[in-house]
Amino acid sequence: MEQSPTTRRIDGWRWSGRLFLTFLLGFTVMPMAWMFITSLKTGFAAMQYPPQWWPAEPTLENYWRLIDPSSSVGQDFLHYFWNSMWVSTLTTVLAVAVAVPAAYAFSRFRFPGRNFLFFAVLLRNMFPAVVFLVPLFILMKVLGLVNTHGSLVLTYLTFGLPLAIWLLKGFYDNIPIQLEQAARIDGATRFQAFFLIVMPLSTPGIIATSIYSFIGAWNEYIYAYTFLTKHDQMTLPVGIQRFFSENATDWPGLMAATFLMSVPVVVLFLVLQRYFVRALTEGAVKH
Amino acid sequence: MAEVVLKDVVKSYGSIYAVNHVSLKVEDGEFVALVGPSGCGKTTTLNLVAGLIPLTRGEIWIGDREVSGLDPKDRDIAMVFQNYALYPNKSVYKNLAFPLQMRRLGRAEIDSKVQAAAKVLDITHLLERKPRELSGGQQQRVALGRALVRDPRAFLMDEPLSNLDAKLRVQMRSEIKRFHQDMKATVIYVTHDQLEAVTMADKMAVMNGGFLQQYDSPANVFANPVNMFVASFIGSPAMSLIPLEAGSDGGTTVLRSPEGWSFALDGRNAAKVAKAKGKRVVLGARHSTVRLLPNAEPGTVPGKVYTVEPTGDVTFAQVFVSGALVNVSLPPTYAIRPDETVNVLFDQARMHLFDGETEMALTA
Amino acid sequence: MSTAQGQAIFRDVPASPPKKPHIGQRAWQARADYLYVAPAILVMLIVIAYPIYYTIELSFFNTPANLQLSQKQWTGLSNYTAILSSPVFWKVTWQTLVWTVLSTFFAFVLGLGAALSLHREFVGRAFLRGLLLVPWVVSAVAASYVWKWLYHSDFGAISAMLTAAGLIDKPINFVDNTQTSLYALIVVNIWKEFSFAMIMLMAGLQTVPEQLLRAAQVDGASPWQRFWHVTFPHLSGVSTVTVLLLVVQNFNSFIIPFIMTGGGPVGSTQIWITHIYELAFLRQRWGLGAAYAVLLFLIMMTLGYFYVRALTRGDESRAG
Ligand SMILES: Nc1ncnc2c1ncn2[C@@H]1O[C@H](COP(=O)(O)OP(=O)(O)OP(=O)(O)O)[C@@H](O)[C@H]1O
Ligand SMILES: [Mg+2]
Repeated sequence: MEQSPTTRRIDGWRWSGRLFLTFLLGFTVMPMAWMFITSLKTGFAAMQYPPQWWPAEPTLENYWRLIDPSSSVGQDFLHYFWNSMWVSTLTTVLAVAVAVPAAYAFSRFRFPGRNFLFFAVLLRNMFPAVVFLVPLFILMKVLGLVNTHGSLVLTYLTFGLPLAIWLLKGFYDNIPIQLEQAARIDGATRFQAFFLIVMPLSTPGIIATSIYSFIGAWNEYIYAYTFLTKHDQMTLPVGIQRFFSENATDWPGLMAATFLMSVPVVVLFLVLQRYFVRALTEGAVKH
Repeated sequence: MAEVVLKDVVKSYGSIYAVNHVSLKVEDGEFVALVGPSGCGKTTTLNLVAGLIPLTRGEIWIGDREVSGLDPKDRDIAMVFQNYALYPNKSVYKNLAFPLQMRRLGRAEIDSKVQAAAKVLDITHLLERKPRELSGGQQQRVALGRALVRDPRAFLMDEPLSNLDAKLRVQMRSEIKRFHQDMKATVIYVTHDQLEAVTMADKMAVMNGGFLQQYDSPANVFANPVNMFVASFIGSPAMSLIPLEAGSDGGTTVLRSPEGWSFALDGRNAAKVAKAKGKRVVLGARHSTVRLLPNAEPGTVPGKVYTVEPTGDVTFAQVFVSGALVNVSLPPTYAIRPDETVNVLFDQARMHLFDGETEMALTA
Repeated sequence: MSTAQGQAIFRDVPASPPKKPHIGQRAWQARADYLYVAPAILVMLIVIAYPIYYTIELSFFNTPANLQLSQKQWTGLSNYTAILSSPVFWKVTWQTLVWTVLSTFFAFVLGLGAALSLHREFVGRAFLRGLLLVPWVVSAVAASYVWKWLYHSDFGAISAMLTAAGLIDKPINFVDNTQTSLYALIVVNIWKEFSFAMIMLMAGLQTVPEQLLRAAQVDGASPWQRFWHVTFPHLSGVSTVTVLLLVVQNFNSFIIPFIMTGGGPVGSTQIWITHIYELAFLRQRWGLGAAYAVLLFLIMMTLGYFYVRALTRGDESRAG
């Protein structure tokens, strides 16, 4: 059958789309693949040019070293890992606990100053971390939080909050107020109406904001680098750097460490990404 | 069931009054329809009774208890919302069970009540579905069911049928009516639809601009509207209102048009006009009380046909009289054409007269 | 008149509007509402309002290297004039502009392309989307190390690939070369953040009405015309927010240049934030750093104004 010019044009369109996706996929995956491949090499095998595209003798040695609690490297790495886990989890739980009531109030109530406060919250993202380092460091000193994870949690809370409040507010805006009213007439208190009816409907938003907070806290570097000077407090991004600067040429070891550092957030995100997309679509973008 | 009383209830938002000094008594077991144009304060009134928004002023009583400051859950009322407000993440069964769970009933008792309500409303086969898997009519039944499972002191319904198609609406209307009779329920029912109000309600409360305009049986509201607003709001097509001027012509009271013509009033109507504050009087006539005559006779006034709408068994015509459009119903055989000049006769026994200054009905 | 039991209770009360309550009164009436936002606002106040105040103050003083605030000296605007008259300022600003504009442009274009290619349903779409999102999810620290290794002057995989493809004959020193370093870092930045644009635009695409596209197709519009006349206008809101966020993010970038080059070689990858960091933390010029930060606030507040406007457009109509 003969193809009409339009069909051919659509095909052309489609093929260029596929070509583009392939290119993008290569661009995206290549560095991560190289990270993994390098991590399977010995230090000696990594220092070759042209490089071995796949290690002649792949080894998991770099990983064993990092997760071996009896070696000093392993001890440090696991320590950093748990520090990161603890700080990120606490940040996430608190961020949700703070964002949910705030988003709800911004959506439902009309108190004076509402718009101003809402905008002020959104503006948080405008300020780069670096310029706040000194004042926050001094503040943390005053609060007695230097060299504690509390200083990080307090600061990290504010990264996630603007997006969390914005997303959740979008969700609450889309939940008819009549649902809560119905619940209250059915015998629920204000709080029961919120927890039994409204909260479950905003679950995708809560999951999405949790992921966002968690990833933000897990990956944060600058404040952790400044606020924590004792190495048993350090989180992964900072700890890894320290570990690397002591063995300046151990690229495979560093790649194994960055790989392990990336695994939790990547897995978390891949498993829950549909909530994230849904939350963006339903909560934020749709008007 | 219990009576519901509103005493001088006021609700203001900033500088606007959504509900303005409304007093109203709904007797135990009575079905009251709350009608009025959009934005007149119907939903606000209902929400005040339910306790969903705080009163600005006034009192609300349910039964022998003042509930003005109480939480909705403590008022023991049930409400059906315009958009049903079914809990989207709960099954029909759980939707029905929710009010009972909140009142800490036992599981067995909840189950028997849910099943009973489901049976009455014929939704037993839907119990496991989620609300979005139901048709509009089914959702409506579930919403009704959620109100029914309890034995509340009063039911509040906010345009519960407005989202249904015409046929379903008629069917649900009679079901709600039967339910009211069976339960001897006290019901306050908000509706846009006059036909609903007239067919279902024992009494009708007409609101406008936050004010309660008239509160009476549907028949009385129709026959004796207290002011021009009620007169033009109730009845379809609307009552025609013609602004005229009172005068006298050799001792008899007449109504005079700026166009120059006038017609004489009978004694009772003359007595009404005498009570008007000024000279301006508005004549109100329902379509069925206006006749068109072939020739000018005493009492007829000139008019010009504007539109003619045959509907089958009646033909509706709109006639310009003294600059106002007057609705007239005619037998389908009546020959009439737009732009034709006609002689209009108002039925003196059934005409309404309003004070042009105050817009209130004039009474003898 | 014959209404039943004199129940016609129409009242001829003139609707004299009550005075709008005073703002303090309204705030008092709404006092319970503030409890909901109080924790969020409190955290924000601590972590933002105080630092802003502190930074502004610092920018008008010369503060000794040990940050002994009691010994600071008022210098008026001299920190600002010093910045604006320094040639380094203009060099860094130019590099920041190049960095921000190129990063934003390519991240947006790649993100848009990806969003459009992924909009159609096909097998493995969610997986592909997830894969493309990985760079956005991994930490910038990890990304910086990986790319540093890829760019390595002796053992770098990129040089090797280009050699294998016959494009070059000896390894290129991407990062330690003032000609290429900034662009090499921009590539990393684009890699890191194009999928943020992608996910925002994907969300936006789902709101484009299907019927409109069909109608345009029936009217004989080519795919390109459909995109240009239907899809793209619908994306304008999300696009504005996305571009603004990218600009802000890029202007505020720190980790990639800090870890990969530390601003070098010879300042060729120094951008505002790394420069501020260097002034304040490496050279203890607190006043200068603070003055830079204040200038940055001003720029950010301007962007922030547009951001909030774009973000809340439709918000009022939605919240009713
Ligand atoms: N939360 C509020 N804030 C300010 N004004 C309000 C609020 N709720 C209602 N109003 C105003 O009060 C008036 C009455 O509103 P209400 O919802 O009671 O009208 P309604 O009679 O139910 O109308 P409809 O038939 O359209 O449902 C309207 O003018 C409305 O704008
Ligand atoms: Mg209403």
